[in-house]
This record gives sequence, C-alpha cells and structure tokens, in this order.
Amino acid sequence: MGKTITINPITRLEGHGKIEIFLDDQGDVSDAYMQVTELRGFERFCLGRPAEEMPRIVPNICGVCPTPHNMASTKALDYIYGVAPTPTAKLVRRLQYAANFIEDHYIHFFFLGGPDFVMGPDANPAERNIVGVIGKVGLDIAKQVIDIRHRNRDIIRLIASKPAHPEGGLPGGVPRGIKEAERPAIIETANLSVEFAKFTLQFFKDTVLANKAYLDLVLSDTYNLKTYYMALVDDNNRQNWYEGMLRVVDPRGKEVAFFHPRDYTDYIGEWVEPWTYIRLTHLKKLGWKGLIEGDDTSLYRVGPLARYNVAEGMATPLAQKEYEYMVSVLGKPAHHTLAYHWARLIEALQAAEEMQRIANDPMLTSSDIRNMNFQFTGKGIGCVEACRGVLIHHYETDDNGMITKVNLIVATQHNAAPMDLSVKKAAQGLIKGGKVSDGLLNMVEMSFRAYDPCLGCATHAVAGKMPLVVNIRDHEGRVLETLTRG
Amino acid sequence: MGQEGRTLILGLGNPILGDDGVGIAIAREIRDGWPTDPSIDILEAGLAGRFLLDVITGYQTVVVADAIITDEKALAGSIYSLSVDDLGKAVNPYASHALDLRTTVELGKQLGYEMPETIRVYAVEIKENTVFREGLSREVEAAVVPVARKIMQDLDKTVIGDQ
Repeated sequence: MGKTITINPITRLEGHGKIEIFLDDQGDVSDAYMQVTELRGFERFCLGRPAEEMPRIVPNICGVCPTPHNMASTKALDYIYGVAPTPTAKLVRRLQYAANFIEDHYIHFFFLGGPDFVMGPDANPAERNIVGVIGKVGLDIAKQVIDIRHRNRDIIRLIASKPAHPEGGLPGGVPRGIKEAERPAIIETANLSVEFAKFTLQFFKDTVLANKAYLDLVLSDTYNLKTYYMALVDDNNRQNWYEGMLRVVDPRGKEVAFFHPRDYTDYIGEWVEPWTYIRLTHLKKLGWKGLIEGDDTSLYRVGPLARYNVAEGMATPLAQKEYEYMVSVLGKPAHHTLAYHWARLIEALQAAEEMQRIANDPMLTSSDIRNMNFQFTGKGIGCVEACRGVLIHHYETDDNGMITKVNLIVATQHNAAPMDLSVKKAAQGLIKGGKVSDGLLNMVEMSFRAYDPCLGCATHAVAGKMPLVVNIRDHEGRVLETLTRG
Repeated sequence: MGQEGRTLILGLGNPILGDDGVGIAIAREIRDGWPTDPSIDILEAGLAGRFLLDVITGYQTVVVADAIITDEKALAGSIYSLSVDDLGKAVNPYASHALDLRTTVELGKQLGYEMPETIRVYAVEIKENTVFREGLSREVEAAVVPVARKIMQDLDKTVIGDQ
C-alpha cells in the first residue's frame, strides 16, 4: 500500500507551502511534489483599471519581493507608452534595484537558507534559525547584517516612498530624483555594502567550502539537478538584472536561445497539470516532457544559479573575481542546487559594486528624470531579474490605456517543476524503507529552500495554529499516521 | 514610563486579497475614526515576518491588527486578543515562519535594540485569502469597528495602568 507523507508547513519559509512525498509499498519514495499556495484572480482584478495604476497594485502580490514586481511593471508601462526613461531616471531605478538585491539576498542567506549551513543540517530545529546564527557568528556581525539591510532599505524608501510596497513607477522616468545632498549617504552605504559582501563571501568559504561534510553535501547527487537555465544578460553576456536579452543554455552549458523578452511567448510554454494551480513553464520549442531532468528535459531553472550558468561573467570587477573562483571549484554549468546560495552572495557583491558606480555617477543628481514624449502602443512586456529569477509582466490595454490583458510569469513559477524534482531527488536519497527522521526531512526542505521560493500570503505576523505536521496517508488519501515536529 | 513611550498600531495584511486586508481596515478605522494622538503612529503594511523588526523597533507599545486562520470550525469574524506569549503557544516557534513576532522580539533584544514592552495582537478569523478582490466579507467587516474600539480602550488601560 502506498503512503503519502505531507510536510506542512515548511520550516523557515515565509508563506504557506506543503510538500507531499509519496512512498511505494517498500517505503521508498516514488514521487514528490511541492505545493505552493497560488493566489488567484489577479488578471480579473486588473481588467478595466488604468495601466498606470499597475506599478502601485503589483507590489501587493507578494510581501516578500515587491520591488521587482514594481520594476517589471514600470518597464511594461515604458513600452505601453512607447517611451524610454532618461539616463538619470534609469540610474535611479538601477540604484533602487541594487539596494533591493543587497537587502533581499542577505535576508535569505542569514535568516532563511544560511542557518542550514551555519548551524548544520542536523542541528536542533529550535537553533537552526537566525537566533542560532547570531549565537554562532556573534552579535557584531548580526548588527552589521541588520545595519546593511536598514541602509539599503532607506535607499529604497528615499526613491520609492515605502520599502515594503514601493509607490513609484512612472512610464519614462521616476517620480523622484536624487538630490546632491543625498549622495554622500548613498556612497557610504555602497562602500559599506561592498565591504560586507566581501566579508560574507569569506564567511561562506570558511564555513561551507572549508567544511568537507558541507562541501560534499553541496556536490552530492542528491542536490544535483540537470536542467536548462534562463537569465537576462547584457551586450557582453554578463549578468544584468534590470534589462537585456534572455539567454538560455542547455544542461551542457551551450546557448540554445537568445531572445528579447517581448518575444517570451515564442520560447516559454505554460503547461497545466491537474494537481497544481501553477502553470508549469518549460521551453516551448522542446514541448512539455514532464518532470524529468537531463538532456531530454524541457525544464529550465532561473535565479542565482541560473544566472551563474547563463552569463559568461559578472558586470563588476570584484564580483567577477569571485565568479571565476566559483567556476574553478564547481565548473560550468554547475547543477548543484545548493550552489544557489554561493551564487547569491556573489550577486550581492555585484549589487554593491554597481551601487558604488551609480552613487559616484555625476548624472545621478540631474533633474532630468522624466521623458514625456509618449507614443502610445497599448502593449507592454516588462522583464527584470527578480532576486529569485526572471520576472515577466505582460499588459495590454484598450485605446484609453485601460487594462484588457495581464499575464505574469514569476520566478517561483519557472522553478516550480524543477523544485518538485529537487524535492524528489532529495527524498529518494534520504528516505529509505519508510524511515523518516527530523534531520532527513530538513534536508529535503533544503533542496527547495535554496531556490528561495516566493510563496503567496507572506504578509502576516501570526500564522495561526500551524505546527509542523507530517501526515502519512495511504493511496486512497486516508491518514495512517500523523507526526508532529516540536 | 507609560505616557512617555510611543505606540505603534500596525495593520497587517493584503488589502487586495479580500478578507486578508482586515488588519489594514482596522488601522484605517482607527486613523479615520479617532482624534489624532501624537504619541500613536498608525502604519499599514503587507509585510512578511522578516520585515517586522524594521518597524517595531523603538516603540514602547505595539498593537498588531491582523487576519488569522485558526481551524476550519472557527467562525469568520471571530475576534482574538493575544499576547506574544499566547502566540508562542499558538505557533510552534520553529515550525512556522522564520520570524514570527516572538522570534523577532527575541532577535531584537539580542541585538540590543529597544523592543516594545507590550505587544498585543488583535486577530480576526477569516476563511479565505487566495483570491484577489477588494473589500471584506460581511462577517469580517462586522468585526472592524469592534476591534478598533477594543484596541483603543485597551490602549487607554495600558497607558493609565502604567506598568
């Protein structure tokens, strides 16, 4: 009789998700799925609203990554109104975006993903969190984490009024420029962020790479998944999170597609399965081939590891050196899912260096922050790299600029099918003969936590009465046993 | 101490996810329905738990208005008044969100930040928060004014009672 093991909710992930692990008669894993709470009805909600409202509406989609939604939406508006932002407006947008990458990546490393390494995957769950991390790294470092985040959030607040839900976002520009008097504080934040990024990378090397057990874990087949990868790149095929062309490489690292984001429907297919609300993305030209990895898959991944595999380098010098070191250790393409963490920290360094460059650019404080030469088109596709991966906003309007169509593809959607596969592989390696222990379950969770999946509903202080529950079910859905962690 | 300390009323939730926005509605009800009090800040936010530390630091009293889903039998619109200790009982601290309120306060104290002496959560039971729409259901809407009143009454008590 087959069993289903349900891990619900996932520890240390904001929002609600659930993992279903199906066991066969021998108690070995036959299948595994990660179920994400899908928010519904967004397109209907937007229909008939003025397009220029979208940058203010979309940050509400998610309490975790509002800035990328705001930016993708603003870029879609640029296209609807047929207008390019002024050079200064673009600098201001990119400054806001760099700040977002810094603060978001550190939240993930220190608060969510990092504790698995800093405390160890087998550590008591009660200590495997930020409070435990502080005990290990010391208060001074913890204060620096908080301080760097504060400073970068202050930059977002300066530009977009509220860091949680940015209110800026105008076609052809930004609602507010940077004053010369504000420049020194931005430079200081950029400099501190560069130093902190260097420290964090060293900390990662000392804690993870120098620990054979952890490095073996990173390199193990359990956390290895061979897929295609997709990411934005600049004219030199280097990482660019704000704009560029979408590049796709195959599981062997060879370029197989290179296209403008406005052509995304020619390259990205969306597949519907009965067991999930998520439309599962895949490479359209290969067709849907199901949940498989390897040369025959049509699945691709996005996010930090994908950007590492797709781009031929970083856009800034210090980050480039770190990238080269990562290549020397892992090679390319690297299919090691846990290497998402490493790639994320290198990106935080690029973001800080980019902030340094922008902060010292004389153009930053120009008052030329809006291009009003509108040439209305009625259609806009905005694409950015969110911290978690490629984010696409596609809007169409009637002649009055009222929304008639909305399609969003978010990072967690691109990664949904690969995450199922990652969970399955981890479960197969770690659950044998029906034997399930707390440490094993956490290592299963580590397999998708690396993606930093963005789950809906992450907006509350109180989760309600939701202890960690593992339901073991038979093939007809009857609960055979309930295990509770805690 | 009490009168000198600042108070934050924090409405949490997503105002375009139907009843999920009840905490925001409560914060707005207080903002619009009571005279302005210079010692009280009112903030509405759709924040993940990871951001709470940023907003509660420096306040002596924090009042959170939020939506909650306890179990299937609970009636929509039911009102709960909870302390941080209650939350500790209600939420398994290491199996839920990374930064629930209790962990956030513990983290803030470790970091040497000024953490609130008093935190109370007023939560309203909701049934559903996965479909985008504006406005609250009738049952949940009916709880907004009573919760706003209770918050303001309890705040007076806290201030006058001085801890």
